[in-house]
Parts: sequence; structure tokens; C-alpha cells
Amino acid sequence: MNPAASCSHCLLPVGRLGQQREVNGEPHAFCCYGCCLAYQVHHGEREEPQAALLLIRIGAGAFLAMNIMLFTLLMYSGTFGAADDAAVHLVHWVLWILASALMAVLGGPFIAGAWRAALAGQVTSDTLVSVGSLAAYGYSAWQVWSGSGAVYFDTVTMVLLLFTLGRYLEALGRVRAARSLAPMLAAERAEVRVMGESGEALRPVCEVGPGALVRILPGERIAVDGVVLEGRSECDESVLTGQAQPQAKAPGLHVHAGSLNGAGQLLVRASAAGGATRWVQMSRRVREALARKSLLGQTVDRLAAVFVPAVLLLAAGVLWYWSARAPFDEALLTALAVLVVACPCSLGLAAPLSTTLGIGLAAQRGILLRSGGVLEKLARIKAIALDKTGTLTEGRPQVLQVAAHGATESEVLAHAASLASASGHPLARAIAAAGRAASAGVAREVQAIPGAGLTGRACGRPAALGSAAFMTAQSWQMPADWPASPEGCTLVYAGWEGRVRGRIALSDRLLPDAAALVRALRERGLPLLLLSGDREAAVARAATALGIAAWRSELMPEDKVGALRDWTRRHGPTAMVGDGLNDGPVLAAAEVGIAVGGAADLARESADVVLPERASRQLPWVLHLAAHVRASIRANLAWALGYNVVALTLAACGLLQPIFAAGLMAGSSLVVVGRSLNARRGVEATAPPAAAAVESVAAG
Amino acid sequence: MLEYLLISLAGLAGSMHCVGMCGGFACILGRDRRGRAATLARHLTYNLGRVTTYCFLGAAAGALGVMMSGGVTGLAQRTLAAGSGLLMLYFGLQFLGLWRDAARSVPGPGGEALAGALRQLVRAPGVGAPLALGALNGFLPCPLVYAFLAQAVASGGSLPGVLVMAAFGLGTFPAMLAMGGVGLWLRRGAERGGVVVVSASAGALLARPDWRQMSVRIAGGFIVLLGVITLARGVLPMDAHLHGL
Repeated sequence: MNPAASCSHCLLPVGRLGQQREVNGEPHAFCCYGCCLAYQVHHGEREEPQAALLLIRIGAGAFLAMNIMLFTLLMYSGTFGAADDAAVHLVHWVLWILASALMAVLGGPFIAGAWRAALAGQVTSDTLVSVGSLAAYGYSAWQVWSGSGAVYFDTVTMVLLLFTLGRYLEALGRVRAARSLAPMLAAERAEVRVMGESGEALRPVCEVGPGALVRILPGERIAVDGVVLEGRSECDESVLTGQAQPQAKAPGLHVHAGSLNGAGQLLVRASAAGGATRWVQMSRRVREALARKSLLGQTVDRLAAVFVPAVLLLAAGVLWYWSARAPFDEALLTALAVLVVACPCSLGLAAPLSTTLGIGLAAQRGILLRSGGVLEKLARIKAIALDKTGTLTEGRPQVLQVAAHGATESEVLAHAASLASASGHPLARAIAAAGRAASAGVAREVQAIPGAGLTGRACGRPAALGSAAFMTAQSWQMPADWPASPEGCTLVYAGWEGRVRGRIALSDRLLPDAAALVRALRERGLPLLLLSGDREAAVARAATALGIAAWRSELMPEDKVGALRDWTRRHGPTAMVGDGLNDGPVLAAAEVGIAVGGAADLARESADVVLPERASRQLPWVLHLAAHVRASIRANLAWALGYNVVALTLAACGLLQPIFAAGLMAGSSLVVVGRSLNARRGVEATAPPAAAAVESVAAG
Repeated sequence: MLEYLLISLAGLAGSMHCVGMCGGFACILGRDRRGRAATLARHLTYNLGRVTTYCFLGAAAGALGVMMSGGVTGLAQRTLAAGSGLLMLYFGLQFLGLWRDAARSVPGPGGEALAGALRQLVRAPGVGAPLALGALNGFLPCPLVYAFLAQAVASGGSLPGVLVMAAFGLGTFPAMLAMGGVGLWLRRGAERGGVVVVSASAGALLARPDWRQMSVRIAGGFIVLLGVITLARGVLPMDAHLHGL
């Protein structure tokens, strides 16, 4: 089975010990027995016999268990007097029969799990339960057979029942942790109402091609990118943009896959293949993030892998030690208590639950995290480097002035726009937009030199567009007498046939949230560095306006990496926030690379965190989330380790009854689950206002 | 013996209260395709599961009582009896209509989840399903069960505890079986097309509000009576003339 397949219940990757089951006639993969159980309980509405099978297992197990407990209680309370030896013996036989059925009904799945793990050369918590319950059952059966009195079927019963219930509750917890991820992970499995010649049909989203007519019902999640043909509605695009305000949709406007339709019905013509939308890409990325183990998670896994065999050894040691000093049945019960009180689940659950929760909460605001490990790294960073363009400024500079030298202004604009329309750089886009009127067409043979400029054939001539340094490097002839440019503008030069013939002045405004962002980051005590490939004057102006003391300007991508390394040496691990093609290398070089949406594809590939377009204001919240997740994991790990040490010691000393031990074990898992889920409340309480609004919309 | 009879009667009258929740399960548990005997077996299995849960709870409550009081006699036992009696009076008076809130108590989030899960068991075929349904059904929150569990705590042992709850469970048997029968009748009626008439008359028979209210009050009366007896055991002098009970 493919370990990267996601569990039908909790949506997490199933891992190597996943199980394949058929539910309602469809194949499903589950990561654990608990998830399988919980899925059946919640999705068994259809009248398929398999649906309720596992629930029947619990119910029938409970029936048997209650009978066993009832007879045991009666026996312990002395209902059968000392004279009733025959009656007591009869009750023992009844208990044996009931317990045998119970072993099959409730013990079966654990033994099967232990067997699967054993075949894979592993020992898991299933192994602990199986070994423990089989030993107690076998010993009691032998006692009944030999006519002796010490039977412990009630212990076996309660251990199995508590473990089954514990598994079920754990799975419920997992689902709650992953619930916020559901809209993300649903992307590839979504179904679309396609209007065809033969009427309307439900089709998987990946089979929908551009041009298909799709009907979207009120309240439905839109699964395709497209243009509205009919109908009016308001769409919640927070998953994509992090913005809570619903966007009005009317005929002619674009809808985006992943957004949630409001009260109106829409008829949409798909503009891209269903499998190629940003939503599907984000979904794939979230899935990958979940599959990647965090550093702490890997450490914990290694610990858990040693932990279970160690517990088995400890139990064997306890049995050997006590059997020499106490009756054998007491030694056996002590060893059983050791086996069942150990809780590798709480160790194993601590990290994944919290990181899943973190990834999910971020995804709800349109923020993508590459892995759970990113959250750990983010919690550790000591400084932040920011790119100016697109991060602190609009990232959409406007052309303010075109100066020509030996050509007309429209000629300059036509050549420049022709080259620029081949690039995704913000400056290039602004120039392309400004030159659209000149309708020059797209240049051919375009080559981009990141952070410097473009060359190619525009209007049939070899042309170039870029910074003064770039033009000089190309050894193009540069006129010296340009008219004065507006203050703080970015200057881009355009030329053709070996000579610079025009200068375009562009200016970029600060984002409205930039000042607040800088203030929030400074309040967290993080030293800030502004890095830009832009001109010194423009960068200085922005840095002064925002109150950032450290800034570097006119940097090539490699220089940015160097500046970042310097900053890291001085202040410790640094996160780089950037945007645009020329930030790719520096994002990759940073401890954590944070790309602000709309970033060119290379930047996204090398980024660990992707924020939605113009949403750099969410950065402090992400840092807060990371700190919260790390604190939650640490507290849970400390709790789980402390619990195991104390409980194992008590059990090994013979101070714990196995039934209490099993109860403690189930309780400790629940505590970890509960604590992890509670962490969510802590994060949401401090969510930024926009994100808080998303929550209330979702809750409503 | 009289006490157990009273409990059964309280169960019988009180089971009209069950019609609302548990009755729904019994009603849709339906018919077995293999015939009338199999159908009866299905409903008996369901009720067996339910009563087993009650008995288990009774045994546990009885054992808990002994653990708390340390024996069948003595001051601790008398205090326990008085406490249980008061608790029973509280539940009984609710059924009588003096406090309306708790008798109408809807299941909490846990109970709702349990009820939701049970709904899926109802339609599953096989012997296991009705058994599991019954066994889990017994755990649904119910003030009637609480009242008798209070009595079981004061009953002075596991066996008397089991007997209290068994008597109660047997008392609820007829109504629950009848609900199953009505369910079948309704379905047959539906097959013949006489849905409206049949369901109306069946509904009138077992679920008429005034009938239900009256029988619930009768149950409340029994519980109050039993509560008074239990309370008396704790409060009155040892030699009071309650040996017959």
C-alpha cells in the first residue's frame, strides 16, 4: 500500500502500517484501527452491512464485557459462599467462554495489527496490548482448566475495552485537528456538476477541461477556475487570499477554485483544466507538508521505536523479578500493568496533532507551510530580512515618467513593453501595462537575468531593458544627460541596437499595512533588515518611512544571499520574506524562506512559507502560531514522558492494578489529544481581525 | 419481594417515557426476513442487551455502595440509604411534574453522539447488531435509570443491585416489545397503503401525550414511594416495621 495515501478518516498520510478496508463498497485507506472505527461510525448512514460492523464489534464487546464484569463483581462480593465451590467453578467456565468470545471480538483487531507490524519487523502499541491480554487470558484459561481459583478475565476484558475506546476517541481527536484542512485536501477529490448535451452530470474535477460549463449551487465550494456566465453571488475566497470579505460575483467576473459560493447559483465556464487550478496545487502542497515529518517528529519517532521494545523487556524483567518473590499470578498482573500503562501513543501523538493543527489553521487563511518542521524553525528564528518590493510596497509600481533620448517616448515604451511582457517581475508588469496602448506584441528570444534585466528581439531589433548597471554590463552606450526624475523612483533603461534610448521612472507605494507589520515584528524583538535590488534612494526612502535602521540597496540576488548570511552571523537564524523572481536564491538560503503570494514560481519552490498576495501583514500571526505550536508540542512531550516514567515505575513496583493501568493509559492519550486541540483555541483567540472574521463566517 | 414488584411496576409505567427515545430504536429495529420467530428473537436480543447493561450498572452501583459504606449495616449504610432515598425522591418528583426540567432532559453532546451512532446500528442485519444496539442503548442518559441506580447503590451489595436493575429492566420489557410490534404493524400498514389510518391509530395507542403523561406520573409515584422506603431505611430506627419490604 502506498504510505503517502491519505487516511479516509483523518486525512493524514496512512504510513507504512496503514490498512485497506472496504466501506460502503468503496476502497478506503486508514492510518489506524481507531480511524477505521470512527470512519465507520460517522459514514455508515448507507444501508450497507459493513457500515456498522465495527460499531457492532464495540457493542457486542461491551455486552460480553459487562457480563464478565457482572459475574466477577458478584464473585468478589461473596455472593457465592465458600461452600459453593461447584458454583464458583461453573462461573469460571462461563467467564472463560465469555472471555474467549471477547478476545475474538475486541482483541482480534489488536492481534491482527501486532501481526502486521511483526511481519514488517516492528513492534507497536498493538504488540503491547496483544502480548499483555493474551498472556493474562492464557494464564486464566489454564487456571480454569486446572480447577484453580485465580482467574483474571475481568482484567483482560477491561484492558481491551478501554484500549478500543481509547483508539476511537484518539481518532476523533485527529479528525478535529485536521478538520480545518478539509477544504484544502478535498480539492483533488472534488466533484463538479458539468452541463453537457445529455444534461447535468457529476464528474471528478480532474476530468474537467477548459470550456466546460459548470453549475455551482449555493453554499458549494467552487472547484474550477472560470468566468461567470449567469447568476450573481458572493464568494468567500479566504482559503486563497486570506481575506474574509466575500467578493461579489456577477456575469463576466472570474471565480476561483477553492472559494466558497454564497447564496446565489452560478453558471460558470471553466477557464483552465480542473486539475491545474491554484487550489489543486495548494492541496497537493498541503498533503506533501503533512507527509513530511518534522525534525522533532522524527526524533519522537526514533524514541517511540525504542520505547516499545524497551517496555516489552521491562515487562519481562518485572515478571522474572516478581515471580521469584511473589505468587506467579501477582507477578503476571504486575507485568501486565507495565505493558498496558506504557503509552507510546501519547508520545507519537504529541507532535503530529499540533503540527497538523498548525498547518490547518494556516491553510484556512490561505497560508501554505512546506512542512511541520517549518513551524519549528519559525519558532526559533531570531531576525528577519525583508525584501522591499511586493512585501512592504504594493509590488505594483506605476510608470510615472518616460524620458527618450534619440527616439520618441512611444517608441521607447513599445520596445520596453514588448520585452517586459515576457517577464513576471513587478516592474516589467508595470511597464507592460503602461505600454499596452502601443500594442507592440511580445518580444522573441527573451532572456532574463534575475535582478538585472531582459534582452531579446523587440519590434524586430535586438533590444534590452534593465538597470543602469545591466546596460553598462551589456556595454551598451549610455547617454549622460537625462532630465531629472521624480524623487525615490526606480529607473529602468530601455534601448535597442546597442544604444540606450529611453529611461522609464517607476514608483511603488508602501502597502497600507507595512508600518503595522514592521511595528509588530519589532515588538517581537526581531532585528529587521531591508534588502532590495532597488536604487539606493528608493530603498532609503522606504526604510526611513518604516523606521527600519538596517537596509541594503542595489543588490544582485547573490549579494542578497551574502547580506543575509552576514545578518544571520550577527543575529542568529533569519527568516527572509520576499517576492519575485530575484528572491529565489535568498529565500532558499534563509533559515525560513517566506514568499508573499503572486510570487513567481521559482520563489514558491524555494519558499518554506507562502503568504497570499499582499498579505504580508499576516506574518506576525504566523510567527505567533509557530511559537504556539512549538510550546504545545514541548508541553505535550514533557507530559507524555513524565507520565510514562511515573506510570511505568509505579506499575513495575506492583503498585498499579492492570485495569487502572489501562484506564490511565487511555486517559493519558486523551489528555494529549485534548491539550493539542486546546492549543487551537489559544491561537484563534489571538488571530488577526480579518482571520477572526473568517472563523465566525465558517462557524455561522 | 414486594420491593422488586414495585420496581417492575415503576419500570412498566415509566417505560412510556422510554417510548420517546429508546422506543424509536425498538420501533425501527424492524422485522427479520426469516420469519416471525426470527423477528421476535431480534427484539428479544435487543432487550437482552439493554437489560444486561442495566444489570451491569446495578452490580457496579451495588458494589460501589458497599465500598462506600463498608457493609450492609451501620451508620454509613444508613447515611447512604438516606442519600439514595433523597435522590430518588428528587427524580420521582420530577416525573410527577413538580420539576419539569430534568425529566425532559435531552442527551448532552456525548449522549447525542451515542444516539447518532446507534441509529446506524438499527438497520444492520445479523445477531450482533441488535445486541450491540441494546447494550449501548442502555448507556443513554435517562432519569429513570438514574433513579433506580440510586436505589441500587443503597441496596447493600452487588446481587441486590443487579436484582433492582433487572426488575426495572423486566418492567420495561412489555412496552419495548410492544413498540417493536407497533413498528412492524406500521410497516405492514405502509405496505398495504393504509399508512395514515394505521399510524394515526398506533400513535394514538402508545404515544398519546395524555396517556404518556399519565403513565409517567404513575411511574413517578412508584419512584417516590420507593424513595420514601429507601429514605426510611436510613432515617427510621432499625426495628421499624419495614421488614416485609
